[in-house]
Amino acid sequence: MTDFDFPFFFNYPPYFTLQPVKETREKQVELWTELILRYCRQQRAYILSTSTADDNPLFYNRKIERRLNQDARLLFLGELVSRGNARWLDKDRRQCLVLWKKLQEWADTVYSLVRELGMQESVMTVDELSSGDEVAGTELEGAPHELLVEALKLLEAQGKAQLFSGEGDLGVKFF
Amino acid sequence: MRRRPGIQGIQRTAQARDHFKALGKDVAATRLEHMQAQMASFKENLEEFALKHREDIRKDPAFRAQFHTMCANIGVDPLASNKGVWAQVLGFGDFYYELGVQIVEACLATRPLNGGLMEMKPLMRFVNRRRGSKAEPITEDDVIRAIDKLKVLGGGFSIMKVGQQMLVRSVPGELNTDKNEVLRLAQGRGFISKKQLIEENKWQEARVVETLWSLLKEGIAMADDQGPGGQRLYWFPCLEASGATQAEVL
Repeated sequence: MTDFDFPFFFNYPPYFTLQPVKETREKQVELWTELILRYCRQQRAYILSTSTADDNPLFYNRKIERRLNQDARLLFLGELVSRGNARWLDKDRRQCLVLWKKLQEWADTVYSLVRELGMQESVMTVDELSSGDEVAGTELEGAPHELLVEALKLLEAQGKAQLFSGEGDLGVKFF
Repeated sequence: MRRRPGIQGIQRTAQARDHFKALGKDVAATRLEHMQAQMASFKENLEEFALKHREDIRKDPAFRAQFHTMCANIGVDPLASNKGVWAQVLGFGDFYYELGVQIVEACLATRPLNGGLMEMKPLMRFVNRRRGSKAEPITEDDVIRAIDKLKVLGGGFSIMKVGQQMLVRSVPGELNTDKNEVLRLAQGRGFISKKQLIEENKWQEARVVETLWSLLKEGIAMADDQGPGGQRLYWFPCLEASGATQAEVL
């Protein structure tokens, strides 16, 4: 992981406690959602957990011994979900897919890469899109399955791809 | 002797009055002239002085403060008018107006985070950073003067003293003595707990709770529930924290 330049508030203890006063909390939500997006974009992180068992350095500052509890994580990530910058991966909201690029942008990235590689009309597995030799060094390398599936569903709805289940893996055909 | 007929007497009195009036006007005019001459020469001298020491006044904060004291002693406010000689001679009005704008900027930029209270030192750091390394250094005295000038705008800018520190307040209103006392006790560490307050001040718990809650509501304090033993600490973004987040909590 590359060094990340954390903002000042990350070292100020009360920002790790949900603020009881509405105006202050709104400001807090603003700062955290901004930080989460920036952090994930720079670290190329995709999935965050709301469980406090997870010691993600984004939610736990060892230096000042403060961490975000589950309520705080749910609130900040929930705010991102409502803005279209994230998506819950399960209905218990344990895992959250952070979309530091909007889903449509991911879909466009996938589609234009496929065209560049001349792989329309051919069938690929979803995993090939993130770990195949063709995508090495591109933006899709290392993208999580969940993200690709969401992006592909969007392309399917736009008539640019079709998803089907293959042997143990999802397959996709682009048009 | 028999008195003369009335009409002449009246005329004579009127004449005398006119005469006195003319004379009075003359005297007043001479005095005014004299005063104007005096003022002109005073202004000239002051201008000469200011011009001669222009660089010192602009560059040297200590000298600037002395110049202000001198002006105050003779009843002149070099900042009173931006159009006057001072702005032209010294570019002086501009200095404080510019500084004033920078102070307002600093206070507005940090207001959502500190509830409109800022310690003098961080404020000066903020302003100095904004001015860049090439600008002349500013002092507390300059900040106080600039804020004094901001008062005419009615923006609620004021300076309050808490313990040894000066805080610049950019929202209207006042802190009552209880809140002031809480801030004073939190100075140095940057935070305080309910327990600390009760022990230090021998206040009733209700009084402590009320004061702290009110500080939270005003955005001056922030709650931190992860203090030692899970007790709630109250942090004050307007105070510089010592960096000790765990140690020495009573």
